[in-house]
Amino acid sequence: MLAEQRATLSKYAYIQTKRLKVLHHYFDERTEYPRDPRFKSAIYDIEFMQIFSLLENEPEFFDKEIYLTQNQKHIHFVKSLDEYYLGTKYLIIEVEDDGIWRSEIWKNIIGYGLVAFFFFILVGLYLAKLFLKPMRDSIMLLDRFIKDTTHELNTPLSAILANIEMMDTDVMMEKNKKKLNRINIAAKTVSILYKDLTYMTLEKEKKSEEEDIALKSVLKNRVEYFDILAKSKQITFDLDLEHATIFMERRKFVRIIDNLISNAIKYNKRGGKIIITLRENMLSITDTGIGIAEGKIPFMFDRYMRFNQSEGGFGVGLSIVKQIVDECGLKIEVHSKEEEGTTMVIKW
Amino acid sequence: MVKTSILFIVISLNSIWAQDAYERNCVTCHQTLPTSLQEMFKRYLLVYSGEKNVKASIKHYLTYPNKSISAMSDLFVDTYGIKKPTHLNKVELNEAIDIYWDKFKVFNKLK
Repeated sequence: MLAEQRATLSKYAYIQTKRLKVLHHYFDERTEYPRDPRFKSAIYDIEFMQIFSLLENEPEFFDKEIYLTQNQKHIHFVKSLDEYYLGTKYLIIEVEDDGIWRSEIWKNIIGYGLVAFFFFILVGLYLAKLFLKPMRDSIMLLDRFIKDTTHELNTPLSAILANIEMMDTDVMMEKNKKKLNRINIAAKTVSILYKDLTYMTLEKEKKSEEEDIALKSVLKNRVEYFDILAKSKQITFDLDLEHATIFMERRKFVRIIDNLISNAIKYNKRGGKIIITLRENMLSITDTGIGIAEGKIPFMFDRYMRFNQSEGGFGVGLSIVKQIVDECGLKIEVHSKEEEGTTMVIKW
Repeated sequence: MVKTSILFIVISLNSIWAQDAYERNCVTCHQTLPTSLQEMFKRYLLVYSGEKNVKASIKHYLTYPNKSISAMSDLFVDTYGIKKPTHLNKVELNEAIDIYWDKFKVFNKLK
């Protein structure tokens, strides 16, 4: 750290050594110790006895070439002589510490530190890109697959749902009614998934059509839509809806509601309940299902993340919900207890 | 006449006894050499530095004089030769060397 000073002090020591040589030659006709305004010096013999000293600080080390004195005010340079002029083995050169070397060191540390920092960031980014490539490729593959297949799902799905709606169930045998019901449930489940995938891959770039939405009627409509799915697990809806509006795109709000209700049905217990509460600026959907461990909550909005493999799906539902919530400046809260249920709260 | 002779002998003996071991045993011989004892001391300092080293080396040289361990130059040794081993006893030799050191040491002489 004192390397910058070393060259200067070494030069001073060389000059002083030459002066000592002359003094040695003329001693004891001349007895005046050579002085220099640029530095102070002292001479010590091989037994560390002081021969003469002009130093302000006593030397602390003889085995170190250069060091900072204990009071941090001076720098000492120790030169070990080969020829002991006047018996001098150790010549100590003392200069005041101007602190310039310290600021130089800080400059160097910061300068080189920044260069190293950016270098490692670049290397890190490169390595991360390299290691994440297989993962990114598989995600891209899945995205492409979903995009491609989504196109092909629309027509048959619409045909199934339309035909189920058109069927006259009054004249149908009870046995066939049940079968139709099951077809209806399955078709609606696929329909929700289809809508999610369509939103995620195709509709995201659609032009925004924001409007004031009366939430009460939308919620009733969606509950009615999901009623058949809920009944299949003997789940009942408990609605506590007050008048509330929100200014956003209808299709986006429907995606949020559909996904939250769909999850509340999927992960509910047979014979459970779904409580939907609507207030001005707040919507909550509570189920009495399996709940989710606290540690997993931060990851539940990740794309393709599924904690329960027994239920179908791609794991894109909550990812879409989070995406819409963030886009529209809403807030989502998750309160969950394992084996008791989960409450999803949307605030705006 | 007898009184004068006795007085002369007494004064002479007194002056010899008054001299220290260094002056008695060193100065007299070195007076004939062109290099002063001061210069020789500086030679020892130049080679041996500290008090213990200098004294030990002088003592060793005086006891076992040899060209290879002399602090003087080859030219000096070749010209004036090597001295004979000292006949002084240990105490007297140490005393002479101590006086020699005290007389020419650099300590407290620089200003």
